[in-house]
Amino acid sequence: MLGTSLKIAQKALKRNKLRTGLAVLGMTIGVAAVLTMFALGTGAQQSVSSDVKSAGTTLIFVRAGNFTRGGEESRIPTGLGSATSLMPDDADAIARISGVKYVSANVKYRTWVEDGGQREYTQVVGADSDYAKQYDWSFVKGRYFRHGAVEDAEPVVVLGSTLRDKLFGDENPVGKQVQIHNQPYKVVGVFETADEDQSDTAVIPYTTAQKTVGTSSIQMITVSAEQAGDATRISQDIRTLLRTRHHLDNQPVQPAGSAALGGLQMPGAGSGGETPDDFTVKTQASEALTKGLNTSVAAFILANMPQMDQTNSQEMAGTLSRAGSTMTALLAAIATISLIVGGIGIMNIMLVSVTERTREIGIRRAIGARQRDVLQQFLVEAVSLSAFGGVFGIVLGFLAAVVITQVLGWPAEISVTAVALAFGIAGLTGVFFGFYPARRASRLSPIDALRYE
Amino acid sequence: MTPNVPVISIKKLTKTYQMGDVAVHALRSVSLDIQAGEFVTVVGPSGSGKSTLMHILGCLDQPTSGQYFLDGKDVSRLSDDEVSTVRNKKIGFVFQGFNLLTRTSALENVELPLLYGPDPVSATERRARAMAALEAVGLGSRYEHHPNQLSGGQQQRVAIARALLNNPSILLADEPTGNLDSRTSVEVMDIFQSLKKERGITIVLITHEPDVAAYGSRIISFRDGVITSDELNTRRRTARGELAELPEPLEESA
Ligand SMILES: Nc1ncnc2c1ncn2[C@@H]1O[C@H](COP(=O)(O)OP(=O)(O)OP(=O)(O)O)[C@@H](O)[C@H]1O
Ligand SMILES: [Mg+2]
Repeated sequence: MLGTSLKIAQKALKRNKLRTGLAVLGMTIGVAAVLTMFALGTGAQQSVSSDVKSAGTTLIFVRAGNFTRGGEESRIPTGLGSATSLMPDDADAIARISGVKYVSANVKYRTWVEDGGQREYTQVVGADSDYAKQYDWSFVKGRYFRHGAVEDAEPVVVLGSTLRDKLFGDENPVGKQVQIHNQPYKVVGVFETADEDQSDTAVIPYTTAQKTVGTSSIQMITVSAEQAGDATRISQDIRTLLRTRHHLDNQPVQPAGSAALGGLQMPGAGSGGETPDDFTVKTQASEALTKGLNTSVAAFILANMPQMDQTNSQEMAGTLSRAGSTMTALLAAIATISLIVGGIGIMNIMLVSVTERTREIGIRRAIGARQRDVLQQFLVEAVSLSAFGGVFGIVLGFLAAVVITQVLGWPAEISVTAVALAFGIAGLTGVFFGFYPARRASRLSPIDALRYE
Repeated sequence: MTPNVPVISIKKLTKTYQMGDVAVHALRSVSLDIQAGEFVTVVGPSGSGKSTLMHILGCLDQPTSGQYFLDGKDVSRLSDDEVSTVRNKKIGFVFQGFNLLTRTSALENVELPLLYGPDPVSATERRARAMAALEAVGLGSRYEHHPNQLSGGQQQRVAIARALLNNPSILLADEPTGNLDSRTSVEVMDIFQSLKKERGITIVLITHEPDVAAYGSRIISFRDGVITSDELNTRRRTARGELAELPEPLEESA
């Protein structure tokens, strides 16, 4: 019976090709709109969340030394940076904490970088092979140095684009030599970053930097968390890990949240007179907040706002999901409207078709067609229309997504789910808007239908 | 079917059409019993209510009042599905205006009753049976023609082939020979008479030609929605014998 209905529908739809085409077109546009909106929505969401990730709320900085040392009440940050408490092994250990994506040991110093005539006094950063990924640098020339270069402490360097401009102008420096601290280094890449300070640095393997400085320790470890909201938890894990590794004490570390109990605490001083940390752990969020402040003031603020970065990332997540739901609501509205318009087109065509074919319905009923046979026949017709619309709409939606991505540069992401959903919605629209005309046809009294002029 | 239960039994049937303020009484309290195997012809002037009665008998229309028992069952109590099955299996209907599907071949028109039958019939069987029915009415070679490519008489014969396809036990024919020449009319009457004789089919036939009415076994006269006479036909014509006497047509109709 379904096969028969399909045949009848095919015949009826072929009879008036232009009309069928227009009804299908309406549905096509509806489905294409749904799919394109979906694609853009998913793409936008993905790029927003990758923006947030690369915006660096996920970075944690572990520095050697502390504001206070040896239990002194002094707030002079003598220990910070100049301490030798952090070792490359610490970085390896941190890399094994769950939720940690990249870890890079750092040794930094300021010195002269020169190329023949030009001399620039600037920051030289010794880093590991994942450092470029941590900051999401893009390489305009060459590439970042590989892990082998770090293992072998090779004299290679990548230059920030600002520094490259100062030293080489527009020239491509890759393959050329520069002198850093009077040692020859081979330039392997030029990176670009929005951070102006970073853009003016020269980055070399941290092992090479260790040799230059003459140390086996490192100054800093840059840690990337997998997820933004995880930074606080990872910071605490790092603190626990390093205290154990550095044999500071066996007492469990006071959770950072204890500050909420009331008393203002000094950083690292602990409550029970325990040995203070010989390192400092800060998230990028707290670093941003205290940037430019006197270190002791910053330390004071941070000690009393232990949840700050967490709040920050939660807020960020909240804003994101609010933006996400606004976007979703908007897309849903557009999709709904276009589908309703497409559906009304189908309903219109079906009503016309029912009216036009009233006598045919009467004849079929007189010959023994049941109400449900007539209902099915017209439903199949309506669903065929919308299914064709669905197929063409998916094709059109794909094209539209591709064109929009190419022309406007908006990211678009078409998933199987979106395609299945668009097709399913098309079918449902056909059933929904086809039902009324089909029911009307099936409810006609046979003799009235036969007499219809 | 017990012989004393009439196949068709109507009691005080009325049908009134309300046209604004005017009420048109198409049927005024008609009572009638028809036994299995009868060949009833209904005559009467135009507008006397013959077609109206036929539509009610064919379960296509409902009376304004009165009852209709088909095989002893009150039709008004049947569900739509049951009535549809009755129309499909039990009753064959030849309409006054043919009622063929346009833009559909003669063969497909004749096949239709098999599409809506309760038991599925394969496409090949449908085709074979429809083809045989078309050949029986002399249209075997016209099976691909659409109704608008057929003459009135040919369309009428397609309608007859369609009505007979599901071997109905009741055949209701509203002026089935209205558009046919005398020889073809006699041929159609021959088909009807042999159906009655061989299969015991019950036939109700409307006509306003007295010589066509004479083929029936019982003649009912209608006027203004009431039966004015209802008598057995003593001088019944037999189509088979007449056909033998008629000259062969010059041109094959097919
Ligand atoms: N749908 C309708 N609405 C209003 N009046 C109707 C309708 N159908 C039939 N009638 C009226 O009912 C009466 C009987 O009509 P019917 O078609 O039964 O006549 P008939 O005997 O078949 O005539 P004919 O020999 O010309 O076919 C007529 O007066 C007609 O005008
Ligand atoms: Mg009539």
